[in-house]
Amino acid sequence: MIESIILWILAICLSPFYAAVILKVKAFFGGKKGPPLLIHYFTLIKLMQKGSVYSNSTTFIFKMGPIASLSAALMALLFLPIAGRSPVLSFNGDVIFVLYVLGLGRFFTIAAAMDTASPFEGMGAAREAFFPIICEATMFMILILFFQLTGELTFAAYFTGIQTSGLWRVAGAPMLFVVMAFFIILLTENSRVPVDDPATHLELTMIHEVMVLDHSGPDFGLIELGAFIKLLFYSTFVARLICPIHAAHPFVNFVIFCAALSGVYVAIGVTESVMARFRMDRVSHFVLTSFALAFFATVITLEFVK
Amino acid sequence: MEAFFFSIGVIIAGGTLPLMLHRHFTLMKTVGVLSISAGCLIGLTNSLFQLFRPETDAVSFKYLHAFSLSFVIDGLSAFFLVPVFFVSFLAALYSFHYLNTPEKSFRTAASYLFFSLLIASMTLVVTAANIITFMLFWEIMSLSSFFLVVYDYHKIETRKAGYLYFVFSHAGAMLILSAFGLMYGFSGSFGFDGAAILPEWVKIVVFVLAFAGFGSKAGVFPFHVWLPHAHPAAPSHISAVMSGVMIKIGIYGILRMYVALNYHAPLFGEILVIAGMISGILGVVYALAQQDIKRMLAYSSIENMGIILIGLGIGMIGMSSGNPLMAVLGFAGSLLHVLNHSIFKSLLFMGAGIVIKKTGTHSIDALGGLMKKMRITGMTFLIGSLAISGLPPLNGFVGEFFIYLGGFKGVGLDKLSFVLSLMAIISLAVIGGLALACFTKVVGVVFQGEPRSESAVKADEKEPMMLIPMVVLAALCPIIGVFPKAVFLMAIRGVSALNLGYGRIPFSPFLEMTENISQAAAVFLLIVFCMLALRFFLYRQKTITRTGTWGCGFTRPTVKMQYTGSSYARSITDFFKPVTALNEDHPAVQGVFPAKTYYSSHARDIAERYMESVFVHPVLFFFDKLRWIQQGDIHPYIGYILLAIVILLFFV
Repeated sequence: MIESIILWILAICLSPFYAAVILKVKAFFGGKKGPPLLIHYFTLIKLMQKGSVYSNSTTFIFKMGPIASLSAALMALLFLPIAGRSPVLSFNGDVIFVLYVLGLGRFFTIAAAMDTASPFEGMGAAREAFFPIICEATMFMILILFFQLTGELTFAAYFTGIQTSGLWRVAGAPMLFVVMAFFIILLTENSRVPVDDPATHLELTMIHEVMVLDHSGPDFGLIELGAFIKLLFYSTFVARLICPIHAAHPFVNFVIFCAALSGVYVAIGVTESVMARFRMDRVSHFVLTSFALAFFATVITLEFVK
Repeated sequence: MEAFFFSIGVIIAGGTLPLMLHRHFTLMKTVGVLSISAGCLIGLTNSLFQLFRPETDAVSFKYLHAFSLSFVIDGLSAFFLVPVFFVSFLAALYSFHYLNTPEKSFRTAASYLFFSLLIASMTLVVTAANIITFMLFWEIMSLSSFFLVVYDYHKIETRKAGYLYFVFSHAGAMLILSAFGLMYGFSGSFGFDGAAILPEWVKIVVFVLAFAGFGSKAGVFPFHVWLPHAHPAAPSHISAVMSGVMIKIGIYGILRMYVALNYHAPLFGEILVIAGMISGILGVVYALAQQDIKRMLAYSSIENMGIILIGLGIGMIGMSSGNPLMAVLGFAGSLLHVLNHSIFKSLLFMGAGIVIKKTGTHSIDALGGLMKKMRITGMTFLIGSLAISGLPPLNGFVGEFFIYLGGFKGVGLDKLSFVLSLMAIISLAVIGGLALACFTKVVGVVFQGEPRSESAVKADEKEPMMLIPMVVLAALCPIIGVFPKAVFLMAIRGVSALNLGYGRIPFSPFLEMTENISQAAAVFLLIVFCMLALRFFLYRQKTITRTGTWGCGFTRPTVKMQYTGSSYARSITDFFKPVTALNEDHPAVQGVFPAKTYYSSHARDIAERYMESVFVHPVLFFFDKLRWIQQGDIHPYIGYILLAIVILLFFV
């Protein structure tokens, strides 16, 4: 329990660092030096020290937005086995609970965007409401597959200890599809290229960034932190799946996990460097690909696993 | 049983007294509201008491010497009585300030009469123990709700909606009657118990007929066409009762038939899951495309009926494949959703009612910024929206959670169950996402941002009797969401009455699940509280500035530039294009000095679009051919009567 809580806090603290890895990779591809790896900590500290500007159009919901999205991300992380150790909380069906809690965070992020009466933010909100629908369908498809393989509905049963390598042993080929599907979900849910571009300043092409245009100061800091944690949450899935090694010593284990996690973040950075973002009407097709992959994986497994 | 009939007597008194007092408007309303709500409270207490009593109550009266009207309150009846009485109680309170036109005094009095009849008939339908009793009160329920729908009969749309509702409820009643007729024909008894001895193929026919009939009341796709017309036309407290509880009587009918037939064919589960899936997804997609706030809520009811049907289907699959845990989870989840939906949907309809009353418009795109002027309405509507999107820690999540768990139990079974469970789970996930989009749209466009029209500027909320019911309902959403144990026990009592053949259903494995929800919800609230504290700490002694919204460099923004509900929903409705064809009307801009132009769009319901060509025209064509029977001359009619008597005497 204590170990799980320490890992939870450690994951929260490390999440801004990993997000900076992406920037470093992108800078490398651009032939630049790039910002320091601790850039996000500096930004967060700077934001926390500032005051805020609120629009006259906004109500209390605007202030609830950052709280809800950060709380949802923290809550989700509580159920996730970090570095293959057992999570802080776990119960039968916690996967469903976590997906819906993240939905709650999304509800408030969208509502906070709609609160500003800004057409740009409305546009971002509409997209934020659309793409995750397909992601959720994919997630549940993967859950069906995992349930077939393990008979459990908890993150702990999928990502703890040797469980993950067990998944590979039972259904290796379909798991490749699952990794790809997870990676697409990761890119979509966290507004990365090719779904969204976190670096652009063109409001019309953005999803997440445009929704938080009006937030400032500590509020914005909380949103950023929530986004880092959410990114870490999804990256952990992929990291555990591509590197299911489980060492006996907790410290060794943690180092292996961190290395795998860096690999995922580098992959995100490489994707962002070599790809442009899709036209908005093509994004839904891209996200649907993940559903197709998960669907095939499940159908294939149906024949293998009895 | 006496207390039950006493409560109905008080409710009926609350309907008839206003007719005599209609010259004194306020007195009439006071008497009507007090009496109806008192009756509902008595009934509510009684049904809660009945629900937790092990034995069932039965009573029987002779009627017309040939039939008997018999009533029985078992767990299932008592479970459905709870929302009927509870929502009617709050709707009666709400009506006090909602019906506030003294000029329409007599009409208001009549509406109380029909309202009391509606409540009484709903409670009597769910306690009916034989076919005759059921059908009698079913008809009274349909007719009284028809008169309530046409309250604003001077409006042509209302009359049209009423007509549509009338036709659909009677076509549905015809199907139910034919199902009952088959039951009677094969079993020779009017009681529901006799149906258990029917041959298997008859059971299937009876179930399918009854499903179509009850489905038309419950708003199951494609029998839902009346629902999005009738609900917006009715006064809002009536829409709350109709959408909150009356359409659930259709669900009750399906369940009652399932119990009576006592036949666990896999086909039943298949029908229900597929029907639920279609209703659920299409319902929410159409809800998203609506521009009228009450129509949108009506479509969302269709969606929730879909969720309930999916749950029932999972329960039935669990039964037919011999998986008790899956069966109980599916049935209990859908019963929970029945209760939860009655809470948040009536809340949302009441909220929409205030908004329409204060702004004078139904159009979502004409509203905006109401949160600032109508704080209580806005807050309660927000809570209702969160709950209906199925988000924890609110009550909508609880029912869906159990349905999900039941669905996952089906994944491990045979191929067919696997496919159905997969469809059920994926459609629930998609419905959840779409519902979130739908309700962020309504909350965002109606209550947030800036007012889009004059009418939205002047809104206020002062009437306590309209606000109190909403506050009560909104308070229940998080309470049930965090502590689902009590309502879950109620649902289990309801499931026990389904005669699944498991004897007493043990509580302990399910209690662990509700405990888990409570615990997780508590942890989540703790985190939210910590974050609020952190935020408070971060904002100590900071400068807070208020200014206009950042327009990305654009200096003269107007409220017209805000994103509208239609544009918000457009990309999602486009994704579902084959079923959401958009009717657009937009005269092209022409010439050097173009005339004023406009743009209007309207998403057409696929069932409504094909109803005319596929169903109405063939039926009309057929009956046109029979028109010669009716010439308007009295002599042939007398001849018909004679012929009928002769045939009856000699051949039957």
